[in-house]
Amino acid sequence: MTTEVLVPPLGTTVDTVTLVKWYVEEGETVQKGAPLFAVETDKATLDVEAPASGVLRQVTARPGDVLQALSVIAVIAAPDEVLAEKTGAPSSSTQAIPSTSASKPGQAVAVTGKRTRIFISPRARRLAEQRQIPLVGLRGSGPDGAIVERDVLAYLERNVAPAITPVAQRMAEQAGLDWRQLQGSGAGGRITREDIERALATPRSEAQPMVSPVTVEVANTPLEVISLQSVRATIAERVVRSHITTAPVTLTAHADATALVALRQQLQQDDIDISYNDLFIYIVARALREHRRLNASLDGDTIKVWQRIHIGLAVDTDRGLLVPVVYDADTKGLAQLAQETRTLIARAQAGQSTPTELSGGTFTITNLGMLGIDSFTPIINLPECAILGVGRINRQAAVIGENIVARQMVWLSLSFDHRLVDGAPAARFLRRVVQLVEGPHLLMA
Amino acid sequence: MALMTIAEALRQAIREEMRRDPRVFCIGEDIGIPGGWGGAFTVTLGLADEFGHERILDTPISELGFTGVAVGAAIGGLRPIVDVQYGDFLFLAMDQLVNEAAKMTYMSGGTIRVPLVMRAPVGATRRGAQHAQSLEAFFTHVPGLKVIAPSTAYDAKGLLKSAIRDDNPVIVFEHKLLYGSKGPRKEQGAISAVGEVPDEEYLVPLGKGVIRREGRDVTIVGKLLTVYRALEAAERLAQDGIEAEVIDPRTLVPLDKGLILDSVRKTGRLVVVEEDNLTGGWAGDIAAIVAEEAFYWLDAPIKRVSAPDTPPPFAPVMEDFYVPSVERVVQAVKSLF
Repeated sequence: MTTEVLVPPLGTTVDTVTLVKWYVEEGETVQKGAPLFAVETDKATLDVEAPASGVLRQVTARPGDVLQALSVIAVIAAPDEVLAEKTGAPSSSTQAIPSTSASKPGQAVAVTGKRTRIFISPRARRLAEQRQIPLVGLRGSGPDGAIVERDVLAYLERNVAPAITPVAQRMAEQAGLDWRQLQGSGAGGRITREDIERALATPRSEAQPMVSPVTVEVANTPLEVISLQSVRATIAERVVRSHITTAPVTLTAHADATALVALRQQLQQDDIDISYNDLFIYIVARALREHRRLNASLDGDTIKVWQRIHIGLAVDTDRGLLVPVVYDADTKGLAQLAQETRTLIARAQAGQSTPTELSGGTFTITNLGMLGIDSFTPIINLPECAILGVGRINRQAAVIGENIVARQMVWLSLSFDHRLVDGAPAARFLRRVVQLVEGPHLLMA
Repeated sequence: MALMTIAEALRQAIREEMRRDPRVFCIGEDIGIPGGWGGAFTVTLGLADEFGHERILDTPISELGFTGVAVGAAIGGLRPIVDVQYGDFLFLAMDQLVNEAAKMTYMSGGTIRVPLVMRAPVGATRRGAQHAQSLEAFFTHVPGLKVIAPSTAYDAKGLLKSAIRDDNPVIVFEHKLLYGSKGPRKEQGAISAVGEVPDEEYLVPLGKGVIRREGRDVTIVGKLLTVYRALEAAERLAQDGIEAEVIDPRTLVPLDKGLILDSVRKTGRLVVVEEDNLTGGWAGDIAAIVAEEAFYWLDAPIKRVSAPDTPPPFAPVMEDFYVPSVERVVQAVKSLF
């Protein structure tokens, strides 16, 4: 009988800890309840007790290793017990966390190793697959805590409107019928055209009983119920994590983009079709070269200042916000940037982005100018340090010397994580960006 | 319409078929002797008065011998109904049943038919290890035999008549606690299976099961006595809000698979209850069929409620422990939620 030695979960804010030391060497005997190893969190160093008596075997973690909560780092076995060889890479359960995983949902669960195996009945799995429900979102209430059909049904009730065929939906909407109340008879409970026809044939008074006049309807009904799935779930997880874990500060600056607008017009006349996004990527990538601390990520207790500059560009798609990444943006010319961003944006909007295209960024630019927004407070795209929000460029009255003249003005909003960088260096970076926007000729210097 | 016990319904089935077809006859120990019980459980009581000792044939204690006589008679064109006093004695006649009756049609390429019926009482009833076994799985395992297990008077009559008219050897398992035998053969702890039996002619086809109780939450499959255990368990479960569907296959070979599979597809849970020993039993086979053909509809593991892997004990308190109780069925079902 072996007992697994697990890294204890230490509250909700900590999902990784550092192993400080083992109190017992591999092969030595340990008593249940005696201190077995020490871990360090961001707050304290804690001793962890042995979960059983026996001999410590199959130790896979060393002092200094960063460990995921609930991963198995050793076993305690009877003295003469023959243990099966560990199959697969030993790193599967104790792997140090790659720096990029911090902001990837799903992975945070996956790296905890075999403890996260999901027990679910075949019937429940079948239903979940049919309705495309992520299993990690389900909580089991069946025998031995397994997920059973009622758990999936409860999830569906909470989260999802019934499935409906496109034809049926169009018919229902044309007839002003609330199809969410209908029971589907099609495959997988899908509402079909026949269901709509049947509902329309039923007299209204029967299908929708009148509310008795004394009842005041106060309960609100959602107009649309959106399940937190796929892209939406990823966005939700990332923005909340960013909101909770970073110390964001937003700096704003008003820049005169008249020269930039003129430059773009000139390039277009010369048949080089570039967008303002391309210009901002070009400018920001070069400014980052001189302000490296903004091109950084926080990884546990170390700040990683990146060598290469990969700029993410926030793109609004039907599926939600996606951030394709232009790699080594500081080494690319405007024409090349334009060509790359066009492809990346088209692929993102068509839902064809590859995981590589959507990861690895070191800084993000988000532009709401085309939607008429002047300035805003962008949310930091973890694990990056900062994000630049670009507002609309429009003609405004500006004071030049003693004259009031019309100039093409733009608001720039820089959100940065104060944990990584202080206000002054961030301000210096933004001032440099403003400088390059106002005087793009400096880029030649 | 008349109210009848299973013993009476079986007797009426035999009487009707003997009147209808002069080839039908009964053979067994003490089934027609004057002053006897009419077999061990009164099924053939009084038949000798109507049909005489030429067609209600009493034999010495010689199961292999009289089964062989019956197999030969069946091959020769008669339709024997063989009675062993206790199913346990079938082991004495195994060679005739398994090597001869079951395989003759196959070995002769269909030219030889063996229209034989073998009636065998089963179930633990305070008689100890050699008069109490449930033998169904021994015979469902043999290709060439049909196996029926009626649990109501209506089914007993209709299935036995179908069995007598069938051209294959058919084993009829009858449960001692369900006979409703009267007088000196009244059984302690018997369940009243008295039911309405139509006066007019009817047959229950082989291979068709029935739903004894409808429910949406769990399927309980039983046979013979355990159908009643399952029904009682279902009533108890209903008090806790669990609606059990109880299925009685009635015929074990050929099995009404579709009925069981459809029910499990509806409920997502299966408990099989039988009085036989756990290992290698019929319950395991039902579980395997469902695991193979309805796996993706299961919402919980399949449970078997069977007797332990021991002979039936003689001591009453131990026998009560041995035979699956209502409480065990209730617990098995609850463990699936």
